[in-house]
Amino acid sequence: MSELRIKGVTIVETFAEAFPMVGTRIIITAPNLEWALIAARTMTGFATSVIACGAEAGIERNLTPDETLDGRPGVAVLLFTMDTEKLQRQLRNRVGQCVLTSPGSACFAGLKTEKSLKLGASLRFFGDGWQVSKKVDGRRFWRIPVMDGEFVCEEKTGYTKKAVGGGNILVLGKSHAAVLAACERAVKAIDEVPEVITPFPGGIVRSGSKVGSKYKGQIASTNDAYCPTLKAAVKTALPLDVEAVMEIVIDGLTADSIAKAMRAGIYAVAEGGAAQGVTHITAGNYGGNLGPHHFHLKEIIA
Amino acid sequence: MSALTFELKGKPGQRLDMSPLTPARLKDLKPKEIEALAVGATRVALTVGDLFKVKGKDASALRFVGTDARCDKIGAALTEGEIVVEGDAGAYLGAAMKNGKIEVKGSAGDLAGASMSGGNIAIDGDAGERAGGVLVGDTLGMKGGLLTIGGNAGPLLGERMRGGFVIVGGNAGDYAGGRMIAGTILLKRKVGRFAGYGLRRGSLIFMEEPKELLPTFGDCGVLEFNYLRLLEHWLRETGRPIALGGRARRLMGDMAALGKGEMLILA
Repeated sequence: MSELRIKGVTIVETFAEAFPMVGTRIIITAPNLEWALIAARTMTGFATSVIACGAEAGIERNLTPDETLDGRPGVAVLLFTMDTEKLQRQLRNRVGQCVLTSPGSACFAGLKTEKSLKLGASLRFFGDGWQVSKKVDGRRFWRIPVMDGEFVCEEKTGYTKKAVGGGNILVLGKSHAAVLAACERAVKAIDEVPEVITPFPGGIVRSGSKVGSKYKGQIASTNDAYCPTLKAAVKTALPLDVEAVMEIVIDGLTADSIAKAMRAGIYAVAEGGAAQGVTHITAGNYGGNLGPHHFHLKEIIA
Repeated sequence: MSALTFELKGKPGQRLDMSPLTPARLKDLKPKEIEALAVGATRVALTVGDLFKVKGKDASALRFVGTDARCDKIGAALTEGEIVVEGDAGAYLGAAMKNGKIEVKGSAGDLAGASMSGGNIAIDGDAGERAGGVLVGDTLGMKGGLLTIGGNAGPLLGERMRGGFVIVGGNAGDYAGGRMIAGTILLKRKVGRFAGYGLRRGSLIFMEEPKELLPTFGDCGVLEFNYLRLLEHWLRETGRPIALGGRARRLMGDMAALGKGEMLILA
């Protein structure tokens, strides 16, 4: 069997195992892009993994004034959870605490679907009876009086049950610096792909986990097979010369968008070639029994 | 297919009730049946055939040519399709309409768009009294949709309005937005006296400061309104570019009624 390689970087013949999620998109606008980003970053903070954050969230892309409903700069935010009820709660709490509170902000639907989540429909109660409902172009907006004027918030936003979470690539390399640089390139490339986010810090996670633990009550623990300091003690997945492994986790509104993002990520990682210290690109899975979505690296780079 | 066209042959001797001539009603009728429809309003029976030269086939788009101010109820209770009026329209233009589109190249009489709940009426010329107001026998004025008046509007514009959007390009008469419950009226020029009389909720947006304001409105000062930007964007996207800007003086009222309505006077 001939090994798959891009510029000398080995592409392991395996697959990323991903899970169905529910996802939504909202648009945040502000007097300038900086404040739209502040609101969006605050809202998507502490949202790396559903394991303990309740949601996975991130900024999809920035929007120019001619792309938004109020003609101001904006940001598209994606939010994912495991079920619709949790998504509704996370959306209400995060927009209520982080966007409503952010100076000059406004918040609009980013998805149009038949069924929808409440947005302004629940936040309007903050107006204590002074909120005003306005219909523009068949869409309902709430004007909620706040100390810097009015918070304009659309009544509802759409959501999809076809979202996918946990698409991933793992990058192995001969030095920490090389792996980090390659992953930074990959996150940048994935940023350009629509409908996806990379929820971890800077898009990169260094503490990949396996299911279960030796300790009772610990549902996930360190992925020892990929820990370079444990090569001699466990059934390691790493060659001796690998010094660091980092993972890029991708959530998307569709399975197709995840595949596109993984492809962009893989090519960006391999761009520097083996000469720059990256040795392997692989992916995380649980043997294929847990998640219905399997993204085979071989097919993705084809 | 060309639009089903009704060309008025001469001045009718009585007011006409044009409400049977809607796309929904005509779509399954044969030309003979259409010509036999009664459109008179007196004991002297008048049919479509007596008054109009009927041409064209497509009943989803109707054209009325040469109509005058005695042609009442054009597009009344409209539910679908499009009506173009190349002439004037009488009273009750698009009254109680639910959906569809009406375009009038001339002017319209009283009660244009009264108690309409959806759809789109565009009048190039003037509108009589109670445009978007309360239809006789109804309790509420306009409930939804868009009513655009290019010229002047008569008194009691949008009376007891409950929703929807009205744009007046010219001047509006007395009691504009009187007893309004919700909805929005955008007034590009002057208004008469008592604008917003009895306003409960809803917005009156003035591009020109009204000469006389009711004393029962309270001033909130000049403020930023992102809502105005939202409106401006929508107007531009739908081919009605009107520069609103983002700043307006907000007056709340009518404090003699519920008082949760507003006048936004663009700054």
